[in-house]
Amino acid sequence: MEPQVKPEENTPVVPTAGEGTSHDVEVTVEYLPAAKPFHHSFAESTTLGTVRTDAMQYFGVSDHQDRDTHQFFLEFKGQRLTNPAQTLEQLLGPHRKEAHFNLVEQITAGGRLE
Amino acid sequence: MSAPYPAIHRWVVASSILPTTRKAVHEAGQGLKESGALWLGQRTETAKISAVVLLRGNGVEQSSGSWKVRPEVFGAVTRWARPQGLTLLAVVHTHLRGVPPRLSRADHEYSVQVPGVLAVVIGDGGAEADYHRWGWYVHENDRYICLNRNVLAARLILEDDYPFDFREADAEGLRVLTP
Repeated sequence: MEPQVKPEENTPVVPTAGEGTSHDVEVTVEYLPAAKPFHHSFAESTTLGTVRTDAMQYFGVSDHQDRDTHQFFLEFKGQRLTNPAQTLEQLLGPHRKEAHFNLVEQITAGGRLE
Repeated sequence: MSAPYPAIHRWVVASSILPTTRKAVHEAGQGLKESGALWLGQRTETAKISAVVLLRGNGVEQSSGSWKVRPEVFGAVTRWARPQGLTLLAVVHTHLRGVPPRLSRADHEYSVQVPGVLAVVIGDGGAEADYHRWGWYVHENDRYICLNRNVLAARLILEDDYPFDFREADAEGLRVLTP
């Protein structure tokens, strides 16, 4: 009996001009105050900016700027990600099936900060 | 309430967590700078505080008027806590002598904005030992509201001592402390 080969393992990936073959990445984003993480499947061509925005929407948080900036970042393997245009494929390499991020923020407090 | 944030009706705190936290933030600020810590635990209807994490060192900016924790420190705590199922339940910080233990505008706007999270302010640079005289706030309906003494008595359950994790964190990671 011939061994079964999954189609995606047997099919060479040959992107054509202007059309890439996109695979999905199962993304998990944890946020320290939340009991449940954000899970979603994204095409690997998805930008980190989109992942960040979708995760923030799930967690119900938003950037805001008053006299100070309060911004959320995705973190991957301990590194803060600052390029929202970078794609999942560019960050992870091709054909990664899953990725785990943390959503992090700065805490600012102060009795004399007004 | 949305899925990531199950409702919290009560918080359970080991009686020794209060003086342990107070002593740690007091020593970290030495009465001259603000300082703070996080309380972590499982987020359930009755949420038990099971870890105290003092934030100081690399990535933590302390001054006489403010206390800032960089995202890298938040990340270090996240990487340690979330795999254990721990969530952030409270942000505790000090105000120095002469500054009331009430949330300032900055405290309201730049701290964690998540339903059910506690914000606790210890006055006198962490020297105030009576927790009834601390500022107790909970984030509800998109803002922090003050818990008066009666509400605090109903929602904060002080238990006899139980074991809890006591650590310090900075951008490099977490280290065990001895209460």
